[in-house]
Amino acid sequence: MAGGTASGNGHGPDERTKEVRRVRLNVTLYRLMAYVTGVVLIVLCVLAIMQAFVNDEAAVSVVGQIHGGLYIVYLLVAFSLCRRLRLPPGPTVVVLLAGTIPVMTFIVERWVSHRYIEPALAGGTAAPNPPVPERRS
Amino acid sequence: MSGSAEASRWRFLITPRWLAWHALVILIVVGMGWLGYWQLRRAEAGNALSWAYTFEWPLFAIFTVVFWAKTVRDEIHPPAPVSWQEEAGLPAGARQRGGAGEADGEDDGDLIAYNAYLARLAKEVRGHGRWHGLG
Repeated sequence: MAGGTASGNGHGPDERTKEVRRVRLNVTLYRLMAYVTGVVLIVLCVLAIMQAFVNDEAAVSVVGQIHGGLYIVYLLVAFSLCRRLRLPPGPTVVVLLAGTIPVMTFIVERWVSHRYIEPALAGGTAAPNPPVPERRS
Repeated sequence: MSGSAEASRWRFLITPRWLAWHALVILIVVGMGWLGYWQLRRAEAGNALSWAYTFEWPLFAIFTVVFWAKTVRDEIHPPAPVSWQEEAGLPAGARQRGGAGEADGEDDGDLIAYNAYLARLAKEVRGHGRWHGLG
């Protein structure tokens, strides 16, 4: 594969701060897209339910196309973030599909934040002598 | 020699787990192609909205293939360790990624879960200081 990894094995402090900045930007974009896509999807669902009573297809088709377009952007941003955070394939698929299920983006965004984003960005402040983790059954 | 080393790097692609992923990718791409074709027929029948989906489904199919290819590439050429993990002073083993070992994935899962646990602890403690007049 041509191109390889752009960051290569650059370990310079400059490269590090750049990468952290990139991740923060990606996290911000992901949260924005998760929120916007989620809200539009809920609006779309409400309109679709209303359509059953009021026969007006125009609103549903317009909002449907908006959601379609937003979801394309959501996919690109979310996949980029999943790669940066080294998410395994399973969770990555969950994050990507969340944009198509009502309310799911909010739930998944919280889960990704707790499980992946916060630990990654809080890495520098971890306790030097951390307690032994509880065993999860 | 170098040929067999090259071959062994790709061998993870035929493990059951990865074969399942390949099958899923093929299924998704075929399904999306079919949906795109279905929308094309609807668009030609006069449904204007279907034109958007006629192009959207194939686009999603392309995304699927690109994402799959990038995932495979990351697995073969693991990217440089995440920088903030280095800053955190984690032990070297904690951030080393092997080729495709399943144990690696689980270790990562444990590490991530553990880090999340630490982050949760830190957050709880942060809030408590104020309540106990320590903040």
